[in-house]
Amino acid sequence: MRHTLHAEWTKLRTAPGTAMLLAASIVLTAGASALAAAIVACPGSCTADTTRLSLTGVMLGQATVATLAVLAMSSEYSTGMIRVTLAAMPRRPALLAAKAAVLTGVVLVAGTIAVGASLLAGRVLEPGNGFTTANGFASLSLAHGPTLRAAAGSVLYLALVALLSLGAATALRDSAAAITVVLGLLYVFPILGDVVLNPVWQHRIERWTPMNAGLAIQATRNLGTLPVGPWAGLGVLAAWTAVALLAGGLLLRLRDA
Amino acid sequence: MTATITPYRSAQQSGHDGFAQLLRAEWTKFRTMRGWIIAMLAAAAATALAPTALAGIAKSNDPEVCAHGLCQVESSTVATGPDGEAVSDSFYFVHQPLAGNGSLTVAVGSLRGTGLPPFVPRKFSPAPRTQPWAKAGILVKAGTRPGSPYAAIMVTASHGVRMQYDFTHDIAGPAGSVRAASPRWLRLTRAGDTLTGYSSADGRHWTRVGTVHLAGLPATAQAGLFVASPDYTVDTQSFGGGDQGAGGPTQATAVFGSVTRRGDWPAGAWTGGHVGPVGQPAKVSVTCNGSACGSAPPKPDRFRQSAGTFTVAGSGDIAPFEPIVDPLQVALYGTLFGVIAVIAVAAVYITGEYRRGMIRTTLAASPRRGRVIAAKAIVIGSVTFVAGLAGAAVAFVFAERKLTALGWAPPVWHDWSLTSQVGVRVVVGTAALMAVTALLALAAGVITRRSAGAVTAVIGLVIVPLVGAVVLPTAPAAWLLRYTPAAAFSLQTSTLRYPQVSTSCIPYHGCYPLTPWAGFAVMCAWVVLALGMAAYLLHRRDA
Repeated sequence: MRHTLHAEWTKLRTAPGTAMLLAASIVLTAGASALAAAIVACPGSCTADTTRLSLTGVMLGQATVATLAVLAMSSEYSTGMIRVTLAAMPRRPALLAAKAAVLTGVVLVAGTIAVGASLLAGRVLEPGNGFTTANGFASLSLAHGPTLRAAAGSVLYLALVALLSLGAATALRDSAAAITVVLGLLYVFPILGDVVLNPVWQHRIERWTPMNAGLAIQATRNLGTLPVGPWAGLGVLAAWTAVALLAGGLLLRLRDA
Repeated sequence: MTATITPYRSAQQSGHDGFAQLLRAEWTKFRTMRGWIIAMLAAAAATALAPTALAGIAKSNDPEVCAHGLCQVESSTVATGPDGEAVSDSFYFVHQPLAGNGSLTVAVGSLRGTGLPPFVPRKFSPAPRTQPWAKAGILVKAGTRPGSPYAAIMVTASHGVRMQYDFTHDIAGPAGSVRAASPRWLRLTRAGDTLTGYSSADGRHWTRVGTVHLAGLPATAQAGLFVASPDYTVDTQSFGGGDQGAGGPTQATAVFGSVTRRGDWPAGAWTGGHVGPVGQPAKVSVTCNGSACGSAPPKPDRFRQSAGTFTVAGSGDIAPFEPIVDPLQVALYGTLFGVIAVIAVAAVYITGEYRRGMIRTTLAASPRRGRVIAAKAIVIGSVTFVAGLAGAAVAFVFAERKLTALGWAPPVWHDWSLTSQVGVRVVVGTAALMAVTALLALAAGVITRRSAGAVTAVIGLVIVPLVGAVVLPTAPAAWLLRYTPAAAFSLQTSTLRYPQVSTSCIPYHGCYPLTPWAGFAVMCAWVVLALGMAAYLLHRRDA
C-alpha cells in the first residue's frame, strides 16, 4: 500500500495541471470570499451570518477542486496510463483508495490555506462594512466554537467534493462527462432550491442535494431554522460521496480498463 | 545533354478546399461520434422534460399571489382588463355621465403625496413622499366597474404628461411637473369612440398628445377627474438567500382649476367615489407578520369642490398588474440541465481533437485555422440550436399546460401559446442561448485545449452567476445578471414588464435588470470575445 501511495503521490505531484489547479482553488476561494466580505454591508444584510459570508468563496473554489479530482483519474484514461497503472498495481480497490488518500491530503492542505485566508479576509474587511461589535457582531475568531466548526467543516467539504468527483470520474472514465455531472449536481440544484414554487420541494432540495446540504456546515446563526443541521448536512454530502466512490470502485473492479 | 525531369503529378484532379468542404468535414466528424449524438439527444430530452417536471410541482397559488412566503396582493383586488389581462383598477373618480360627444378641460395646479406614507422598516430606504407614478387628470371610462375600458390624459409626479388607455397603453406627452405657479392644462375630447388628449402650458396653445380608439365605449360614458397614487413597494434580498419586502398604499392630492365642460353633460353635478378596491397594506413581509409591519390604515379618499376648484385625494393605480412570481420562468430553469450537457459536447468537439492528435490532421487539411473554428462553430451552433429548439418547444407547451391546470391561470398569469410573442421569444431564445453557450464552450476548448478546464470555465461563467444571483444581496446579484453571460437567461422570463408600472425588481424573484434581447446581447459579446481570443491563440500556437 505504501508503494501504491507513493506512486500516486508522484503521479499527482508531477501532473502538469496540479499545482496550477491547487493555486487556482486557493485564489478563487479566498478571492471570492474577500470580495463577498467587501461588498456585503450591514445596512441591508444585517441578518447575515458573518462566518458564512467570509466563507462564500468555497462555492466558487470547489469547481477547481472538482476539476483537479476528476483529472486525477480521467487523465489516466485519456493518456492510456491506466493500463500501466493497473499492470503495476493489480489490486484495483487499493489503487482507488490510494488515489483518494493522496487527493484528500492535497485538498485538505490547499483547503486549509484557502479557508484560513478567507476567514482572515473576513476578519479584516467585515468590521469596515458595519459588522462591528457595536452592531452585535463579534470579530471572526477560531476560538468561537461554531466558527471553528464552520472553518474545519468547509475544509472537509472541499475534500468530500474532491472525493465525489474522483468517484464520478472513476465511474465515467471521461473528464468532460465527469466534470459536467459533478458541477451540474453541485450548481444546478441550489438555483432550483431557491426558485422552485413549492415549499415541500424547496425543503427537500435544500436538505438532500450535495451543495445545499454540505454547506450547512458553514452556518453559525439561526441553526434552528436550517433545513438540515450542520453536521447532518455534511453527512448528506458524505453519503453522496460514498455512493460515487462505491459506484466508481465497483465499475473499476468489474470493467476492463 | 541535359535531361529534364518531370516531377510526378497525380493524374487525379485536386479536390476543392472551399469552405463548404470544410463544413462537410466538420459535420462528418460530429455526426460519426455516437457519444456526442447521444449527449446532444440527452440535452434535448433534459431541456424538454425537466421544465415539465418542475411545472408539475409548482404549487397552486389560489387565492393569494404568494411566493417564498411573500404575498403580493389578494387576487380579489385584481380586475380583468378589456383584453382579458390582469389589471389594477383603483382610483378616486369625480365623475358624471357624458352622453355622446364632448370635452373636458382642466388646469392641474398641484399634485403631491398626502396622508401617512407606508411604514417601511429602517433597513430600507424610506418611501418617497410623492410616488413617481402618482397621477391626476381627466378620465373617460365605460363605467365605474373595475377593468372597464378607459382613456385618460394626466399629469404624473415624475414622468410628465401621459395619455394612457386600456391599462397597457402609455403615450408620453410633454415632460415636467406641475406647480401652482405654472399649472398644466389638460383636455380630453370624445368623438364617438375616438378620444384625443391635449396638453398646454398656458391654456391657449395646445399640443395633441395622442388619439386613441376605444372599442366598447357606450354612448353614455362616465367622465371626470381622477387621482391615483400607486402602492409603494420595496424588496431586497439579503446574503444567504431570502427576501424581505415592505410597503403599502399611498395617497396623492391634486388641485384642479378652470374645469370646463363642452358637449352633452346631462347631469350637471359631480359625484365622487372610489373605483375598485380601496388599498390594503399590499404586502406582507416574511420578516414581519401582517399588521406587525405597521402599515398605517389608508386615509379615506375624498374630494372637495369650492367655486371652480376641485381638491381630490386618491389612492390606487390604473395600470397592468405585474405579478412577482413567474412560474413559467421558474419551470424553465429546468433547461439548465440541457445547457450543461451542451457545454460538455461543445467543449469535447474541439478538445477531443487535441486529445487524439486529430487536430494535426485537421490543420494539415485546412491550414487556414480561422476557417476551422468558423466551420466548427457553425456545425455545433446549428446542431445545438435545432436540439434546443425542439426541447424548448416541448418544454414550453407542456410546462404551460401543467401550470394552467395547477391554477397559474389567467387573468393574473397568461396562458401563452407557442406562437404568441412570448412563446416565440422564450422558445427561440432558449435555443439561441443554448447555441451561443455551445460557441462559448467551443472557444474555451480551443483556449484551454483540455475538456475539464473548458467545461469548468464555461459553467463558471454561465451557471455559477445564477447561484450568486440568489445567494448574494440585491446589488451584487443584479450586477452578476447584468454583466455575465447569465444575463441571457432573461430570455426565459414571461412576465410582461411595463415602464408605467413601478415594480421592485430583484434577482431573487427572477427579475433580470436587462430586457431579454439586451441580456442575450451581453452573452453574445462574451462569445465574440472568446471566439476572437480562440482564433488568435489557434493562429499563434503550435497545435
